[in-house]
Amino acid sequence: MFYLRLFATYLRIGILGELEYRANFWISLVQSALDLSVALGGLAVVFSHTDTLGGWRQEELLALVGVYFLIGGLIRTIIRPSMTKFMEDVRQGTLDFTLTKPADSQILVSIQTVEIWRLVDVLIALPVLSIALLRLGARLGLVDTAVFAVTLLCGGLIIYSFWLMLSTCAFWFVKVENIQVIFMSMWQAGRWPVSIYPAWLRAVLTFLVPVAFATTVPASAVSGRITGATLVGTVALAAAMLLVSRWFWRVGIRFYSGASA
Amino acid sequence: MEQNSVIHIDQLSKVYTVNEREAGLIAAMRSLVKRKTRDVKAVDAISFTVSEGEIVGFLGPNGAGKTTTLKMLSGLLHPTDGSASVLGYRPWERSRDYLRRMTLVMGQRNQLLWDIPVIDTFELNRAVYRIPEAEYRLAVEELTELLELASLLQRPTRNLSLGERMKCEIAAALLHRPSVLFLDEPTIGLDVTMQRRIRRFITEYNQRTGATVLLTSHYMADVEALCKRVIVIHHGKLLYDGELTGLADRIAPFKTVEVKLQNGLGGRPLAQYGELVAETEGRVTLRIPKVDTASVTGRLLAELDVADLTVQDPPIEDVIEHVFSQSPSPLGDPDPQQAQSV
Repeated sequence: MFYLRLFATYLRIGILGELEYRANFWISLVQSALDLSVALGGLAVVFSHTDTLGGWRQEELLALVGVYFLIGGLIRTIIRPSMTKFMEDVRQGTLDFTLTKPADSQILVSIQTVEIWRLVDVLIALPVLSIALLRLGARLGLVDTAVFAVTLLCGGLIIYSFWLMLSTCAFWFVKVENIQVIFMSMWQAGRWPVSIYPAWLRAVLTFLVPVAFATTVPASAVSGRITGATLVGTVALAAAMLLVSRWFWRVGIRFYSGASA
Repeated sequence: MEQNSVIHIDQLSKVYTVNEREAGLIAAMRSLVKRKTRDVKAVDAISFTVSEGEIVGFLGPNGAGKTTTLKMLSGLLHPTDGSASVLGYRPWERSRDYLRRMTLVMGQRNQLLWDIPVIDTFELNRAVYRIPEAEYRLAVEELTELLELASLLQRPTRNLSLGERMKCEIAAALLHRPSVLFLDEPTIGLDVTMQRRIRRFITEYNQRTGATVLLTSHYMADVEALCKRVIVIHHGKLLYDGELTGLADRIAPFKTVEVKLQNGLGGRPLAQYGELVAETEGRVTLRIPKVDTASVTGRLLAELDVADLTVQDPPIEDVIEHVFSQSPSPLGDPDPQQAQSV
């Protein structure tokens, strides 16, 4: 509850901050519209040649695009700006202010910057997802919807934990911004179901950089192709990564304060 | 241990392991793979106690270990050795209860968010510290009055001058009414008027709330105005802990004698009486070892046509400079009695 209120405060500050730079809103809007056009255009090209792609039908892929924009939007709105700010704070020594606050440092760091205009991606994702769900509607039951929600949440948590672990490396190496760039380019691959990629790339996108869990898995939940094993695996992975990333954060803080050096 | 002691540290030490690298590209490439490291003792077995409501000046040249000590006391750094207790907490355990009762202000770093009005950073701190609405309003009101912030609060931080920003920084750090303040160079880079304003504020805050203050500064005026007691460290070691007025006696055993002669200098070699510090139009300033003050003054009066003569303690800046120019320690090890009493 306390952290929700704190998040609301950061959200408010995010809005205030961004209102100072209104041009950013239009740039974000144009960028998101372009991204969406490219994604939808890609789909149109593919389906003008074939009816299914790697076993996925058109509306299923539309759902995937929706998921891709939704999670991507949340990453760009909260996770990426907060983690960028965190790395800056490590470099400039202003992290000290965060660490002397009477609140959980990991949570503070994770929600400290909200780039409000990036929510445009989320706003775009919702109608795309709705259309896809409506077209899939006939086969979509209550259980499927619940499973979809669970996988979406787990996908988000997996990506968050992964990103937190990457950022935590800043305690040792100080400058690790490039990792983010690498991650964002891997993320692009999540626009398509991982099953269309060659085996090695599929393995990378599943196990090395867990993009598959945030896009392909939730999308396969709505298209009814998710297996029980995948569902259990996704939930277990989300829980494990949350715990491991928290542990790693603590190790990082201990290193930063010279407790383990 | 004294009664009401708020800060108590005992044999506190911090050793940093730093990377060493020779100049040049090849050396830089080599260090990507293998790093040479060296241990640096930033703080070396320091002990002192600060009582409730005291304002203590923490002095030393750059790199003496002041900031490292403040960071250990505010819970940011683990000591390598020794112990510390602030308000009964071990700082580096970072208990929330402790963090809620202390604050850290760093003159060189900002916690105010750059793009938004100052009052919104205040709001954020209110949320983080869970300050009840009524208390928060009272605190903002009081700080606004004391620091004259009324015209600043609605402006984004980036539009403020350095001095205005510092006033707001201090206010942001005090909204939760901490009872222990660690101020690291709170007046750095500010003009004299602003320095004076901030000094006056620290005194006021201390008197109103009875808060304990440990402050570092390079400006002796700050220290003279605020601190009865100073702690001097150099190369990580404690050099002096006691009254500011005793500092000169103890570590600068000389006096300043200013002489004005009846008929100008007339080329008389005054250097034979003591070390010549300054000389302007018949007025000469000499530095004389304290033990010789009486005899030298006597000789001056007897041998020259003196119009005016004053004997003074040297300015505190000179004393400090004198200490730090002699390394590692002009005193040898600090007298343990001196270090513990006061």
